Amino acid sequence: MNWMACELHTHTFHSDGGQSLEELAAGAKALGFDCIALTDHNTMSGLWNKEAVEQQTGMNIIQGMEWTTFFGHMVTLGVKDYIDWRPVGPGDIHAGLARVHEHGGIAGMAHPFRPGSPMCTGCYWEFELRDWNELDYIEVWSTTFAPLKNNNARAFRLWTDKLNEGFRIAATSGRDWHRQEQTDEPLSVTYLLMEEHGGSITDKAVAALSAGRASVTLGPRLDLGVHFGGQLYGIGDAVPEGPSPDHTIELQAAADFEARKEHWELPEQIYTLRFHSNLGMVSELPYAADSKGCNVTLSREGLRWVRAELWGTIRGIRTMIAFTNPIYFDEPGGVITLNDYTISTDHGTQRLYGYAR
Amino acid sequence: MNTLLVNVQGAVTPECSKTHIAYRFFLAKSGGRMKIDFSYSPKNLEDHARARTLIEQGLDRYIEDELREQAKSKWQSYLPLKNLITLSVDDPSGHRGAAHRHDPEQHLFISGLESSPGLSKGALQAGMWTVTLSLHAIVTDDCRYSLQIWHEEDHG
Ligand SMILES: [Zn+2]
Ligand SMILES: [Zn+2]
Repeated sequence: MNWMACELHTHTFHSDGGQSLEELAAGAKALGFDCIALTDHNTMSGLWNKEAVEQQTGMNIIQGMEWTTFFGHMVTLGVKDYIDWRPVGPGDIHAGLARVHEHGGIAGMAHPFRPGSPMCTGCYWEFELRDWNELDYIEVWSTTFAPLKNNNARAFRLWTDKLNEGFRIAATSGRDWHRQEQTDEPLSVTYLLMEEHGGSITDKAVAALSAGRASVTLGPRLDLGVHFGGQLYGIGDAVPEGPSPDHTIELQAAADFEARKEHWELPEQIYTLRFHSNLGMVSELPYAADSKGCNVTLSREGLRWVRAELWGTIRGIRTMIAFTNPIYFDEPGGVITLNDYTISTDHGTQRLYGYAR
Repeated sequence: MNTLLVNVQGAVTPECSKTHIAYRFFLAKSGGRMKIDFSYSPKNLEDHARARTLIEQGLDRYIEDELREQAKSKWQSYLPLKNLITLSVDDPSGHRGAAHRHDPEQHLFISGLESSPGLSKGALQAGMWTVTLSLHAIVTDDCRYSLQIWHEEDHG
């Protein structure tokens, strides 16, 4: 499998964008992306020359559409034909989600907390979701310099809350890219871990995101693994039940500072790597750009999910720089006890957080 | 020959926000080109006191308590408030796209080989067609729209 740098939320002049698909794809290429999803508002006509643009620019293009409704914006990926958003009322989003899934697609909340009508019509999510299992992902980082924005922080909290409630929902970034314009603000990338086979990029992206194989960043690509029972599990995987509920696991995380490195800038620093879970932060370690990665050994007891986060300073502001989607644990909750740990970074000592409930 | 299929003017008010107005009409002959002229006015709410009230009401709903006053202090960043009506097209057998954009005056067409951005090209099929106006937001007390749909039979 391959990590592909994706921009999952874009528009052309087929809706309210100020760019052609060629200009968008060439712009994405120049920024080091492997893949874009075209998600025009309520139309798929912008995809008519997709193959030609892919050949001309070398960019992979995922078929998508942004449901731009009165009650929320919902990005859909992988639906081959238009699905009608117009009959869907604020209580009917499950009918819409079912149709997206029937057609082989997936759906995510777009910028769920952006102030809505009449400032930005339908931009705030008001649909009633009765079963969060039906939602495939949440766009938690919208627009540029995303982690600094209050709306995004709120979306990120919503995602964490839903993970804590036991839902397995993915999280992505999306620039909501409407035109080719220079910006000094850091850009987000959603890396998707895609299978290598002859299928379409749309199918591969849908498979990757629906399996939660996604990692989001302003810079280096962050990876996460869990060693358990002689097996290595990756982002999006669920670790099966163990022989005992307190069986030991090893978490490992690494940030690839080579990924797209010409396209982002971070000052030299010691970063902070956090393992965050349903039990809160389970470990926090210093992390250097030249590190090979770091490991933590702990009991899996009580763990339902864990993700990695990279924190540091960018443009003089301390913030989250990258986060992975979770690795899940197929076991009911309980108590976590830290019984052992090891660190393989060269920098300082780690702080451990023990939980006894 | 050019046939005028729909010729309508209408007035809508803020209460019409989040509604659809559908015009269903009969295309007697396949082929040719459909021309759709659509406009509405005004585009912007010029009354800033009214705009401020609407923005503050919105922020009451959309912003969390602890950030609300800060957001309200920047209410002007949301100006101007705009009316938004978008147009979409369905032919007798399926959807033909939408023109989701802010232009208050649009001259659209759809034909076998070409179409305006947002609409999908493909031979016109005789039968019942629908053009839908989606009123995403009406912020002015009065908003007038005008819609004319023509069939240009001899046009490719
Ligand atoms: Zn949107
Ligand atoms: Zn968008």
